[in-house]
Amino acid sequence: MNAVAQYFRNIRDAVVTTLAGMRITLRYWMKEPAITVEYPDRLGPGETVDDIVSERYRGYLKLFSDKCIGCMQCMRACPINCIRIVVEKTAEVRMISRFDVNQAKCMYCGLCVEACPSQALAMTKRFEGACFDMSELRVRHVVDPVPVAKLKK
Amino acid sequence: MYSAASKVYELFQPHLAAYGMPDTAIIIAAYAVPCVAVISIISVIAGMLTYAERKISADIQNRVGPNRVGPYGLLQFPVDGIKLLLKEDIIPDAVDKKLFKLAPYLVFSSTVLASMVIPFGGSFIVADLNIGLIFIIVVSSLLVVGFLMSGWASNNKWALLGGIRSAAQIISYEIPTALSLLTVILITGTFSLQEIVRAQGPWPWQWFMFYNPFTIVAFFIFFISSLAEMNRTPFDFPEAESELVSGYNVEYSGMRFALFFAAEFASIFITASLATAVFLGGGNIGMHPYESPLGWQLVMVLVFFAKTFVLCLVTIWVRWTLPRLRIDQMMAMCWKYFIPLSFACLVMTAAWMLVFDGNGMFWRMAQR
Repeated sequence: MNAVAQYFRNIRDAVVTTLAGMRITLRYWMKEPAITVEYPDRLGPGETVDDIVSERYRGYLKLFSDKCIGCMQCMRACPINCIRIVVEKTAEVRMISRFDVNQAKCMYCGLCVEACPSQALAMTKRFEGACFDMSELRVRHVVDPVPVAKLKK
Repeated sequence: MYSAASKVYELFQPHLAAYGMPDTAIIIAAYAVPCVAVISIISVIAGMLTYAERKISADIQNRVGPNRVGPYGLLQFPVDGIKLLLKEDIIPDAVDKKLFKLAPYLVFSSTVLASMVIPFGGSFIVADLNIGLIFIIVVSSLLVVGFLMSGWASNNKWALLGGIRSAAQIISYEIPTALSLLTVILITGTFSLQEIVRAQGPWPWQWFMFYNPFTIVAFFIFFISSLAEMNRTPFDFPEAESELVSGYNVEYSGMRFALFFAAEFASIFITASLATAVFLGGGNIGMHPYESPLGWQLVMVLVFFAKTFVLCLVTIWVRWTLPRLRIDQMMAMCWKYFIPLSFACLVMTAAWMLVFDGNGMFWRMAQR
């Protein structure tokens, strides 16, 4: 008798659990929207690449050349020497004539940003660095020589 | 005997006989025309089902699915087909070459042969055989030969295991499938599918599914065991991606693989249409399938395809809900549950017909 009851309980369990599962998938099928981000070209209305990248993302380096004091701390902090700075002294003013960041070498560790005493270096959210020639990744932040800023006390 | 083939025969017989063509040749040609039409329609439907499967699985899993080729990715399946056509056709050195080449055609033809007797509504049936249902059961068991052949000829552990599993599975599940179809045969007393459709009516209470409580059970047994017969999840042991890589078709590439794939999806459609015709009233809208005007016949086709489409969706829906069973569970399900239950349905339906004088559950309602 027990075995017979078990037999019919098995049938009932199979039906009930299958229906429960199918109800869940039906809900997902009909109601839940897709959460996929269709990255390059279909980002949803009004969204840009910046919106899908999280805050504090470590992307390309950015230099605020009006804040840079030309101390070269970032160059020394960089573990793989991808920053190259040239500071020249003309007359009484020190000028930054070169501030190159090689984004191809950069490992996006952010040590240069931490080392900067004047918050002149920052990391942006830009991550789309694909290009056909590696030399395009050597970013020249200073084109015309700019005078160094004075560190505010 | 009415069918699409006989209509073609009536249409062309006078013209072709005038050229001195022998009658046998005209009959063969008359059957070839609807056969080719059905094969091409079935192939396109199989392709569309692959698209539906990918899209529905994506919906269920909160993904997007194919959406790059054409509007909503609708052109994905012809593109996939073209890709498979252009792929290199690899025949490994160690395979049994003859069997290896033969197997995909056997699988595909056994699937498509079953569609020859399916009434698509109205007079759109290739051949209304008086052994229609038996023909389908026999022809769909040819599938085992193709699977086993491809598994053996591939000379590959996974393929062989897949072939053996499919043989065990399909042979077992053939019994409940046939028995649950037999309950309907008890009611109609004929194997001709067109006659089975005509014995039903347009309304749900006239369908054989709702003839009595046991035919409802028989319908579900038929549906589930045909899931097993066409190797769909939760019974996809012959393919079992996670354990057998891809089962019997691992060694195949290009068009030969595409034939296996098309056969798999065509069998979804054919099973759904068989269930529609036998249990859900087919394309019956309460009019004579042959003598009504062409417009109404096309409405019958629409009704038939609407019902079939819903069943196809359910098949896909089940696949993306349930995990694969264990192989002993699958066998236990067949031999310990489905076969006794389908026998019980058969016997109880016979008893029902004796007690209620051949009337269904809703016969009072239908009389009003």
